Amino acid sequence: MADITAASKPPGRGFFRRKKTSDENNLAGYLFISPWLLGFLLLTVWPVTQSFYLSFTDYPLIADPTWIGGANYDRIFTSDKTFIQSLKVTFTFVLIVVPLKLAFSLIVAMLLNRQMKGMSIYRTAIYFPSLIGASVAVSVLWRNMFGVDGYINGVLQWFGIQGMGWISHPDTALGTLITLDTWQFGSTMVIFLAGLKQIPNEMYEAASVDGASKIRKFFSITLPMLSPVMFFNLVLEIIQSFQMFTAAFVITQGGPVDSTYMYAYFLYEKAFRHFQMGYASALAWILLVIVAILTAINFLASRYWVFYESGGKK
Amino acid sequence: MKKTWSKSLLFLMLAFVLVLAACGNNGGNAGGNGGNGGNGGDAGNGGNGGNAGGAEELTMMWWGPEERHKATLEAIDIYEEQTGISFQTEQLSWDGFWQKLPTLAASKSMTDVLQMDAAYINDYVARGTLADLSDIDLTGVVDDAVIENLKINGKLYGLPISQNAQGLAYNKAELEANGIELPKEGWTWEEYFEWGRTAKEKLPEGKYAIGDGASAWDWINWYQTGNGADPLFTPDGLEFNLDKDLFMEFHQTFADMREQGIVPPPEKTLSFLENDPTADPMASGTVMTRGATTGSVSALETMMPGQVAVINLPVGEEGGGWAQSTIFLSVSADTPNMEESKEFVKWFITDMEAGKALGMTRGIPISPEVYAELEPNMTTGDKLGKELYDIAVPHALPFYAIAAGFTEWVDTYESTMEGVMFGQTSIEDAYEQMNELGNRIAEQNAAKQ
Amino acid sequence: MRNLYPRIGNQLLMMLFSFIMLYPVFWWIGASLKTIPEMSLPTIWPSEPIWANYTEGWQFSEKYTFAQFFKNNLVMEFFNVIGGIICSSLVAFGFARVKFKFQNVLFAVLLVTMMLPLQVTIVPQYILYNTFGFIDSYVPLILPHFIGGNAFFIFLVVQFIRGIPRDLDEAAKIDGASVFGIYYRVILPLIKPALVTVAIFTFIWSWDDFFAQVLYLSSVEKFTVGLALRMFIDQFDIQWGQLLAMSLLSIVPSTIIFFLAQKHFVEGIATTGLKG
Repeated sequence: MADITAASKPPGRGFFRRKKTSDENNLAGYLFISPWLLGFLLLTVWPVTQSFYLSFTDYPLIADPTWIGGANYDRIFTSDKTFIQSLKVTFTFVLIVVPLKLAFSLIVAMLLNRQMKGMSIYRTAIYFPSLIGASVAVSVLWRNMFGVDGYINGVLQWFGIQGMGWISHPDTALGTLITLDTWQFGSTMVIFLAGLKQIPNEMYEAASVDGASKIRKFFSITLPMLSPVMFFNLVLEIIQSFQMFTAAFVITQGGPVDSTYMYAYFLYEKAFRHFQMGYASALAWILLVIVAILTAINFLASRYWVFYESGGKK
Repeated sequence: MKKTWSKSLLFLMLAFVLVLAACGNNGGNAGGNGGNGGNGGDAGNGGNGGNAGGAEELTMMWWGPEERHKATLEAIDIYEEQTGISFQTEQLSWDGFWQKLPTLAASKSMTDVLQMDAAYINDYVARGTLADLSDIDLTGVVDDAVIENLKINGKLYGLPISQNAQGLAYNKAELEANGIELPKEGWTWEEYFEWGRTAKEKLPEGKYAIGDGASAWDWINWYQTGNGADPLFTPDGLEFNLDKDLFMEFHQTFADMREQGIVPPPEKTLSFLENDPTADPMASGTVMTRGATTGSVSALETMMPGQVAVINLPVGEEGGGWAQSTIFLSVSADTPNMEESKEFVKWFITDMEAGKALGMTRGIPISPEVYAELEPNMTTGDKLGKELYDIAVPHALPFYAIAAGFTEWVDTYESTMEGVMFGQTSIEDAYEQMNELGNRIAEQNAAKQ
Repeated sequence: MRNLYPRIGNQLLMMLFSFIMLYPVFWWIGASLKTIPEMSLPTIWPSEPIWANYTEGWQFSEKYTFAQFFKNNLVMEFFNVIGGIICSSLVAFGFARVKFKFQNVLFAVLLVTMMLPLQVTIVPQYILYNTFGFIDSYVPLILPHFIGGNAFFIFLVVQFIRGIPRDLDEAAKIDGASVFGIYYRVILPLIKPALVTVAIFTFIWSWDDFFAQVLYLSSVEKFTVGLALRMFIDQFDIQWGQLLAMSLLSIVPSTIIFFLAQKHFVEGIATTGLKG
């Protein structure tokens, strides 16, 4: 069968270049991936299959499931208004957070990837908000930042602006969660930092000899060399943002007026609050399909902009 | 031939879905087996596997603060000494307990004995996870009428541990400082709203006499039952009743007061978080009253020492508020040690030694004898709780917990009424939506019977 | 001298930025020293610091202090980090540098497992561990790190390895290195920044993974810091002072780990042999 994509591309640019079968080393390959494979077979396969089966049942969690066919999916797609609302909220969140966080963390990573007095301290300080993300105290902290009598309103008052309850108003709650999530850009930034470190200095030196400007170096060296890591961050951020749960759970409980009713929170509520685990499983598989399609598109697109040093280009 | 990665991903997903769909029914059997497997594992853990007669070990879990853990362990030590039965205990926080319990129930590995709360008991009973304790004799400790009241479908699924009651707390110190007349016992809903209006005039800017009760389901239920209508739902979740006239009246009253600035604006109301000193409506100094129970009022007292006083909930022609146990001791329906567990729970709430060890760590003890013994040592918070209980009892109506399957309704009520508060939904539309959802859940519950 | 002004400017900029990022911590420290009634006041610092929040908080109960919980957590983290590094580097090398049958399919599976929300696999997973008798042990918390439970890390390291020129492998192969030799001598030293990243994230993300910890640990002596912290939060009665004080202490290890590890981003790596 003629494979158009393969024919139009240089063979080395596929994710895994496949030459002759003699190149395969099945034993070594399977040995290397055996830890993951073992874990997958032992701990993942059954729960995942189970959840798929449960999505076709009425499963009140604390009693046994009963088979109801596609009724869960039917209800989700035809009569559940909260499903539409949570999709709307989640897509808005992902569409804004992902680019914002990536851009922000790349800029900060470049800023921090320099030799400077006290840089270790600055780096830790800037990473700090991401450290407290999982702490129990975080909801108290956030309420004190964005509450009616919070810190943000205090600052605004200096400029004569009347503050408001950022988290408790339906027009601003989602925006506040987006800000909070972007503020915790630490992990994406660290991955960028690690990526920047991996770019050999010689490349920049050679470019300097050629008289390239800083901007030129950024576009012709930094960006292409960083593209695998950038791609990773993009895929990871999309997956994580779709599954964003903590802030909606801890700070807003999906409110006010469902304005922060994130998909993962919706799912949690169905499973563990309303005891509708079958329904929640169906929701989970719908999310999986959405995210998988987006990721597949991402991988397809990546062939046009991600540059792998090992891919044999040039 | 050169397969690219992303194609494999799509292909694989398709294949995965197909394979799973094909063996869906087999999966069902696997699920059932898994549950049994879990059960076996649990029995093995408990160390009672083949030992049918006379258990040597019981498992128990509860939630609470540190004093409760300490006191409970002390009581258990006494029991271990008396009977030779040893205990495996698990102490949790409130959140942790309710996050963990569904998974334990789902894997049929709940502890033999567990603490239960009125807010959740209906759901667990409806799924058959709790044992029937009706045959435990509590004569002389708990009034028969009280027991009858606690029964769900004629059976008792949890022994009441302590007395609880619902009322209002108010900021006595600040009301007096502003020359505002204090609430009077037995006040009606009209008097309550009127008091809110007049008191607001004497309060400084940004402070309010009463809070906005529009998005809390229990408030509409109190209003409805207090004024003689049936409750929102029966405990078994089979019947639903949302009285349209009362609903419109209640929410219109709050809508008017919201507009006139008698109650806080919605964004303020929704930023409140009870028991958080920075965000509690009363402790933050914003609102002069809020709902409180015997169990919760002492926490409020800690946040604003010496300022809090209590009053009954506003009453309708039928009465108002409730006075009942809301913490129970239940036994797992799957326990291999049924008799031992029942004996222990009875001992736990009736025995004087146990009572002394436990003290007030779960509120006012249900046993009058134990209470009489402990009374001299009550703290200010405990006394406030007792005071609230005494005020609530004469007006009390039955207690209504969220019925099985109705948590969804309660959550939807909250977000729908928030929409009303922000002017996004009309009260009429809100009624239609809530009525429809309630009837649908009741129908679903009936279909499962 | 020409460079002095921009340098001072840079420093000021970084200080301002750090201050903004750190602001909540100042509030946190202040609040952790307050009494509960004082906490409702808008002031940042208490009129009189209550050190008892720290001492009483640390003295968790009669039997156990926070020393025990920190110890438990750190021991657990030690294994987690080791497991994370070994597993992700091995598996990633396999996917990125070795060719084998069904490689693409398996990699796709690996990615798909990251996309299913955890909430729906919790119960079956619990049943599984329960059947094996691993409840109330650290096994369910540590084991996943050794067997690729966090696919993110594998994917991350794959991306890093794919950024390394293949010429290096070829050269080593000509010198007679085995596949494992290439992994150990060529690739491993070059992906140090990535592995440091894996270590940091493993540590920080599993430090306070409350849901898994509350599910799998039940005896107090095995509690992690996160579990012990939740015990300050009862339904109504919350020990705010102790909660804020101890949760502030609870992020100290993560901060230290990050501070120590981030140096590896500065040092850079030996680039000898990389093409310029």
